[in-house]
Amino acid sequence: MTKYFIGTAGWSYQDWVRVFYPKLQAGGIDWLQFYSHYFNCVEVNSTYYSYLSPKIVQDWVRKILDSEDFMFTVKLHQDFTHKKNYDEQKIKAVRYNLDILAKSERLGGILVQFPYSFSFTNVTGDYVRKLSEIFQTYNLFVELRHASWQNKHAIELFRELNLTFCTIDQPQIGKAISFEPLITNDRAYIRFHGRNVEAWKKSINSYGKEQSSEEQSDRYKYLYSPGELVEIQQKIKEVQEKVKEVYVIMNNHPQGEAIANAFELIHLLEEKITVDMPDTIVKAYPRLQPITESESNSTQMTLI
Amino acid sequence: MRTIFHLDLDAFFVSVERILNPLLEGKPVIVGGDPYGRGVVAACSYEARKFGLHSAMPIRTALKLCPQGIYLLGHFKEYSRYSRAVKNILSSYAPVIEQASIDEFYMDFTGCKRMYGSMFEFASRLQKEIWIKLSLPCSIGIGGNKTVAKIGSDCLKPMGITFIIPGMEKEFLAPMPVETIPGVGKVTLRELNSKGIYKVCGITKLPSDYFAAAFGKYGIDLWRKANGEGREYLTVEREQKSISKETTFDHDLVNKKIIYDTLFELTGKVCHLLRENNWQASTVAIKLRYSDFQTITRSKTINPSSDDDKVIFDIALEMLKKAQTRRVAVRLIGIGLTKFNMFSEQEVLFEDNETKRKRLFRAIDWLRRKYNYSIVTMGVH
Repeated sequence: MTKYFIGTAGWSYQDWVRVFYPKLQAGGIDWLQFYSHYFNCVEVNSTYYSYLSPKIVQDWVRKILDSEDFMFTVKLHQDFTHKKNYDEQKIKAVRYNLDILAKSERLGGILVQFPYSFSFTNVTGDYVRKLSEIFQTYNLFVELRHASWQNKHAIELFRELNLTFCTIDQPQIGKAISFEPLITNDRAYIRFHGRNVEAWKKSINSYGKEQSSEEQSDRYKYLYSPGELVEIQQKIKEVQEKVKEVYVIMNNHPQGEAIANAFELIHLLEEKITVDMPDTIVKAYPRLQPITESESNSTQMTLI
Repeated sequence: MRTIFHLDLDAFFVSVERILNPLLEGKPVIVGGDPYGRGVVAACSYEARKFGLHSAMPIRTALKLCPQGIYLLGHFKEYSRYSRAVKNILSSYAPVIEQASIDEFYMDFTGCKRMYGSMFEFASRLQKEIWIKLSLPCSIGIGGNKTVAKIGSDCLKPMGITFIIPGMEKEFLAPMPVETIPGVGKVTLRELNSKGIYKVCGITKLPSDYFAAAFGKYGIDLWRKANGEGREYLTVEREQKSISKETTFDHDLVNKKIIYDTLFELTGKVCHLLRENNWQASTVAIKLRYSDFQTITRSKTINPSSDDDKVIFDIALEMLKKAQTRRVAVRLIGIGLTKFNMFSEQEVLFEDNETKRKRLFRAIDWLRRKYNYSIVTMGVH
C-alpha cells in the first residue's frame, strides 16, 4: 500500500492567518502544531536560507508529538546547491539538525533543489554524485528544473545512486522540465510551484535584483483548478504502484492557496470522501465545502 | 450482437461549474453566451429546464423564460480537462472508445461479460466511479448498436442506466416520439407530423420504400433507426497507422534459418506493440533487401485480423519464402502491420481454440511491461 505524505512548502506565512490559521484575540496558537493536526508532512524551507539552531529543530519535534506519522522533509542550504560554497563545518551543521529529526523518526528526507541554470552535463552529474555521497545516509529528493535532465543517462545516474528524481509542476517557460513523473527508486517526491507564467517570467527577468518578499512570492501565486488537480491525480495514480511513498508538496503558498489545493489533493489521492479541515479555509475557498467534514466532526484546535 | 455503451455526462458544463462553485447547486444555471447578446444556450441545469430552457436555444429567449437564472460564460478549458479525465477512467475498462463530443462517449464492450459480469451492474459501477472520483453525474445506455445505445442514455436522465434487451430494440423504440431518433430535427419532425406520424411505431408500420420516396437515402436511414438498427462499429482515432520493425544484419546473410529466426523475433516485437495498443492488424507486410540493395516488399490481408504472434509469423514466413527467390545474401529483413482493427478482438476473445494462447500472450506482455521486453523470449519449432 502506497503511503501519501501531502503537505506544503513551509508553514510560517503571515498571510495564512484567517485563511488557515485562526485569528485569536488573546494568547495564540502554535502554527506548526495547528498545521500538523491537518497534514502529515511539511517541507522545511528556512534551512535553505540559514543554518538553524538545533534548539529550533528540537522544538519542532516537540510540537508535533501528537501527530504520529508526521514527517519533515528538509531543504538543503543554498550553499550546497546554488553557491557551491560548503565546507566540513557546514556539512556538520546540516547533519546535526537532520540527525535530530532522523533519531526521532521524523525525517522524510532532504530536498536538494538546483536552479534552472543547473543543466545536465558530465560536470553537474558528478556534482550530484558528490552531494549524494556526502549525504548518503539520508533519503535524497533531487529537484532539477532544466529539461536536459529528462534523459536516459540522468535517470540511470539517479537509479545507480538511489536518488529520487523530483517531479515538478512549474510554468512551462524555455527549457523548463515538464510535469512527467520519473521513478528512480521506491519514493516519489512531487512539488507544485503553480503555473503563474507571467509572474515567473518577471521573476526571471529581475534575477539578481533586489526584490521585496511580496515580489518574490508573487510567482508562486496560483490556485490549481479542480480540473487541473484531477489531471494531476490521474498522472500520480499511474506511478503510485511503483513506489512505497509519495510526497506531494504544494509550494503555491500565497494566501493559503497551497493549503486549499493540498486538502483537495488529499481528497483525490487518498480517495477520502471528506477531509478534516478548519472552517477558516472553507470560508476562504468555498469550493472546498463538498469535501469538508461537518463542523461538529471537526476536532478542536489546540490552544497554547 | 454487439454490446455498445453510450455514456452521456449529465448537464456536463453545469456539473463542472458546480464543482468550481458549489453554491450553484440546486439553482437554475445556464452556460452560454452573454444573456444580452446573440449567443445560444450551451448547457443548462435541470432546474433551468423546468422553465422550458434547452440547449441551442437563443440565450435571449432563455433570459425571458428564466430571468432568475444564473448565466455563466463558462470555463471551457476546465470542461476539456474533466472530459479527458472521464476518458482516462473509461480507457481503463473499455477496449474501444469513440468520443462523440466533449461529454459523450461510445464504448464497445462486446465479449466482455465474462470479464466484467452483468453489463447493467458494470455500467452502474462505472457510473458510480465517475461520480465518486470526479463528482460528475452521467447516464448510460446499453444497446446492440450506437443509435439504440444513444437513445437509451437519454431515457432516464440524470444518473440513469438503460439496458435495451437484445432483440427488443423495435419494441423499445415503438412508443417513443419520433424526435427521439437522433437526426430528426424540426423540419423532419414537421414533415412526419404532417403525415400523421408522431411515434416511432408510426414509422415502422410503413414500408421502407415509403420513406425512401419521401426523404431519399435519409428516409431509409430513418426507417432503419426506427426499427432499432444502427451503426455497430465505433470510429476511433488512429494515431498510428502502422507498426513496423526491421533489422539490418551485421554481415549480409545467406543462412535462411537465421533470417527466419530474425523474422520471428521481429514479429514478436510488433505483435507486442499491437497488443499494448489493443489493436489487431488486417494486413501483414514483409520487406526483404538483398546485399545488392534490391528491395522486395510483399503484403497480405488477413481475415480475421489478428494480434497473435503465431498467426502473423506464419503468414509473414510464407510470404518471405515465396519472395526470396535469388541466391544472394540478405542485408535487411523487416515486418510491418497495418490496417488496424479494434473491434473484432472481443468477438474471438473467449473462443476456446485461441483462448489459451491469447492468455499466454497477455501474461507475457504483462511481464514485459513490468520488467523489460527481453524477460521472455520465444523460440521457433
